[in-house]
Amino acid sequence: MTTDVINLTLKDQLRVLGRLLKYTLPFKGVLALAFSMLIISTVMGVMTPYLVMIFIDNYLTPSVFPEEDIMWLIIAFITVNVLAVVTTYWQIYLLQLLAFKVIQELRIDAFKKIGHLGMTYFDKVPSGSVVSRLTNDTQAIVDMFTSVLGTFLMAIFMVISSFVMMFILDVKLAFIALIFMPLIVFILLVYRKYSARYFSRARGLLSDMNAKLAESIEGMKIIQVFNQEKRLQREFETINEEHYQYNLRTIKLDGLLLRPAIDMIYILSIVVILSYFGFLSFETSVTAGVIFAFIQYMERFFEPINQVSQNLNIFQQALVAASRVFTLLDDNRHAPVQQTKDQHEITEGRVEFKNVTFSYDGEVDVLKNISFEVPPGTTTALVGHTGSGKSSIINLMLRFYEYEHGDILIDGHSIKKLPKEEMKENIGLVLQDPFIFYGTVTSNIKLYHSTMTFEMVQEAARFVGADSFINKLPHGYEQKVVEKGGDFSSGERQLLAFARTMAPNPKILILDEATANIDSSTEEKIQASLQKMRSGRTTLAIAHRLSTIQDADEILVLNKGEIVERGTHGELVQIKGIYYKMYRLQNSEQ
Amino acid sequence: MRVFKNLGWFFKLEKKSYIIGLFMLVLVALMELVPPQVIGRVIDRITTETLTSNTLVLFGVLLIFVAVLTYIFRFFWRVMIFGASNRLGRTLREQLFEKYSKMSPSFFGKRRTGDLMAHATNDINAVQMTAGAGILTIADSVITGGAVLITMALTVSPKLTLIAMIPLPFMVILTSWYGSILSRLFRVAQAAFSSLNDKTQESVAGIKVTKTFGYEDEDLKDFTNLSDDVVKKNLKVAKIDALFDPTITAIIAISYFLSIFFGARMVVADEISLGQLVTFTTYLGMMVWPLLALGWFFNLVERGKASYDRIEEIMNTRSEISTKISTNSIPSGDITFNVSDFSFPGEDEVSLRNIHFTLKEGKTLGIVGRTGSGKSSIIRLLLREFDTDPGNSVSINGIDIKQYDIKKLRGLFGYVPQDNFLFSTTIRNNIAFINPDASLEQVQEAADLSYIHQDITAFPEGYDTVVGERGVSLSGGQKQRISIARALMNNPEILILDDSLSAVDAETETAILSNIEQNRAGKTNIITAHRMSAVRNADLIIVMENGRIIEQGTHSSLTKARGWYYETFKAQSLRRDLTKELDETLEGGGNHDD
Repeated sequence: MTTDVINLTLKDQLRVLGRLLKYTLPFKGVLALAFSMLIISTVMGVMTPYLVMIFIDNYLTPSVFPEEDIMWLIIAFITVNVLAVVTTYWQIYLLQLLAFKVIQELRIDAFKKIGHLGMTYFDKVPSGSVVSRLTNDTQAIVDMFTSVLGTFLMAIFMVISSFVMMFILDVKLAFIALIFMPLIVFILLVYRKYSARYFSRARGLLSDMNAKLAESIEGMKIIQVFNQEKRLQREFETINEEHYQYNLRTIKLDGLLLRPAIDMIYILSIVVILSYFGFLSFETSVTAGVIFAFIQYMERFFEPINQVSQNLNIFQQALVAASRVFTLLDDNRHAPVQQTKDQHEITEGRVEFKNVTFSYDGEVDVLKNISFEVPPGTTTALVGHTGSGKSSIINLMLRFYEYEHGDILIDGHSIKKLPKEEMKENIGLVLQDPFIFYGTVTSNIKLYHSTMTFEMVQEAARFVGADSFINKLPHGYEQKVVEKGGDFSSGERQLLAFARTMAPNPKILILDEATANIDSSTEEKIQASLQKMRSGRTTLAIAHRLSTIQDADEILVLNKGEIVERGTHGELVQIKGIYYKMYRLQNSEQ
Repeated sequence: MRVFKNLGWFFKLEKKSYIIGLFMLVLVALMELVPPQVIGRVIDRITTETLTSNTLVLFGVLLIFVAVLTYIFRFFWRVMIFGASNRLGRTLREQLFEKYSKMSPSFFGKRRTGDLMAHATNDINAVQMTAGAGILTIADSVITGGAVLITMALTVSPKLTLIAMIPLPFMVILTSWYGSILSRLFRVAQAAFSSLNDKTQESVAGIKVTKTFGYEDEDLKDFTNLSDDVVKKNLKVAKIDALFDPTITAIIAISYFLSIFFGARMVVADEISLGQLVTFTTYLGMMVWPLLALGWFFNLVERGKASYDRIEEIMNTRSEISTKISTNSIPSGDITFNVSDFSFPGEDEVSLRNIHFTLKEGKTLGIVGRTGSGKSSIIRLLLREFDTDPGNSVSINGIDIKQYDIKKLRGLFGYVPQDNFLFSTTIRNNIAFINPDASLEQVQEAADLSYIHQDITAFPEGYDTVVGERGVSLSGGQKQRISIARALMNNPEILILDDSLSAVDAETETAILSNIEQNRAGKTNIITAHRMSAVRNADLIIVMENGRIIEQGTHSSLTKARGWYYETFKAQSLRRDLTKELDETLEGGGNHDD
């Protein structure tokens, strides 16, 4: 079993981070505001110990308390802290705001991208992983922005400001304190190196374990019948144990290098401060306030480092998530683009295929030199086995895929050059498996059509014969439809999809007949309504049941990407070829 | 707190780790008390000019000693407590897995895989957190908080301690208040996020419709609206969430102010020294975390309790299949069905009625009939996925199969399920499922019998080809034939093909059946099928309809009877010939799987 955990190199991480940060650019205002809040709150943060130092050294030690001075000190203390509280709040809030704005942009970009990607992409990438790019991965980036980036920024500001204050208090000691810097950086680097390894291994094992568990639940029947429960348990326990071992390693690593280590260094730094001032006090006078302030700054210096080190793993995971989102954004399997903006129009709906040769993968031709014509208002049926190429003809016709050889014309214009809107308005598609959206009956017929009135919706439903079942629904046209139309029978779903297709009154109709059995109660209705839909419209129909297209004006029989027979039902039965055999076969069914 | 009582068995088991871990925590708390004391004393000696280099060195050595010890103690409590809580996670996972593997199909029928998974992931996580972070937070609050508080009172001033503590309860009250608002807002935000998730899922699933109608832009607008909503609701969360830090800062500042204000008076009054005041303020900073931890603790325990209840509910569910064993013999002999009526648990509808027949050992039984006629129910009873009610029996050699050891009973069967479930591992491992140590030759032999060997060798990775989501996708026919090979592996006493030849073409079906016939002399076979050709050579054929046997006999007797079997057989034969003829025209005689 392999794991999906990606490990990015440092260079990749920087590249991803850079690209992510670019998304903040449109929000310069928020960014600037957040930064100024951050600066004010850090400056205010370092002011408190300084004020206390002044109080201790200038007033408490000599024990003189001029009322006015003390008042001013108290006012300063209150002002500083109120400012600190207010700016801290806004700084945290603004960073979150920024994070959500960025994610919003990223999500919209990703969703837009999905609209632009061609079917080639969706054929290859499982829908679950596309969804997860847009939702879970972007959510992981939010976490990074809010908790990690905020922490990092604050940490940087706090570390710098604390150091500045230490320099102001005592340059020499500040320099001495700098000794700890390389040590901390070294510890963090070592930590990053091992933790990334353990962490991703532990995550990988966890996902293996969950996969194994999920699969065992699904296949429990087989496991039990074959008496393999004990073995599967052992296999599960092996991964479980390994996962535990890696977790233990992570715990030990954290214990060796994170808070315990940083805190030890902090205490050592206190030793340095006390010794320094202690020995200094033998030569010159040292004030209590300075020692106090220095120790406070030291603490402020170490605390953010602790926080940052604890967030390193979240940060790395978020970068992996971001890199997955960017991979989606960079995918170039685009949907075919219309070539010109010529104002060609679809007037009659004459469809023509001219020597079309097509391959999905560039190796095997699924359509070989296909030519045929569908005169306006007539029906052409495509017949053949799975893989004969009949679905490919429809896929090309609908511009789901780009073709290179030959051409497809509507009213004499190549479909590559027809305006997109013109195509969408005049071509109606009925899919094999009618897709029903969450919403209402009306919203499912109307979809996003901007000018369609309720009367038109009703008209379409009436036209295809869906009105009788819709009217029986408790809420009629406003009836809520659950996901995938689970409450409706397959026939009702089909009728709903018919109404959706017919509502814009298309000139050309493309039908992909359902293979699945439709409940017999609606079967007749469906056939009748298909008959009605086809009349007067140029129709290209894939037929699985030959009985439904016997009246087609022309029937094309496809085999291995070629048209092997063509003619009307009568003609084809006469020549006793493939069509005839298929027809006899279907007639033999009970 | 009940969760700790319920987890008592575990704490008993890990007594040593927890005692050592808690002891280490106490030591850490004690060690942490030292630096502020040293700081205060050094400051006092400097201000009173009584510091000597000897004492300074002594203090320095003491602090270094404390630093190293704290490091060691901190390391060990982590390993002890977090190690133990991880072992709890491991143990619970193991127990749950074992439990699942003991449950009957009706258990899985009633529950969704996602929920069963959630128990093993989220719930175990929450319980693990309770046993790790939960113990830590409460110990830290009580031990560190208590130790610091007592030390402040004892070594500096009880009065000042009291004054400085006044604002701190407000911190606890405010933060837990934010917490409760937050959890409500968070649920709302979560709901918005899941609508966005649903929307995305639907858009991806319905991409063809959207593209055909050209509504990509409108769909994007809809998505943008939902995404806006997610942002809006999350910002509401952020507004409250951002209150935590400033509130803590503010309360600490007040506390700080009070300590210095009143502390300074005490210094002037010579009640405490300046160094003690510094010590005091340093301790004050150490009180923040234990107080916050207290709030966390209750949150963790609440979640842990709910999760552990769910896990226990599963652990206490009994399998509906009894495991009482009354005979130790290995079942063998004739199979007799004496079932007057049978309904699946929880269903009113009678699934089988008056099923009475005997299949002699070593013979082949064919069961035919329409979908839903009860063919599979017969198999499910024989496999003991469900048990018959009193008065009915399925017996082998005259003994009700309920009385055999279920392991021994299952040891008889080679079963090919309808859904051809394969595991996402190599083809070899799938075939050798019953015996992972089987040699490649044995695996190939089984694959040969089920006519899949050639298909397998055509894959670039051969028998090491991984199937499933991460590997190649197999056709239905290929899956069926691999499932058959899996069932044939150990040359089972009873081979059960439950509608397992539906996706292979006629010739392959004939070939597999004749292989089975030749290689399984003296062994029992049970075949259910839609195609009469699959059971044509069976020693006994029963025809099912609506849970009853409507015809039974052999191919020749049933043909003579001219009933449903005969009519169907005739129609299917005609169809088979026509299909063959058509295929020959299309392919020049190739086969089409699926």
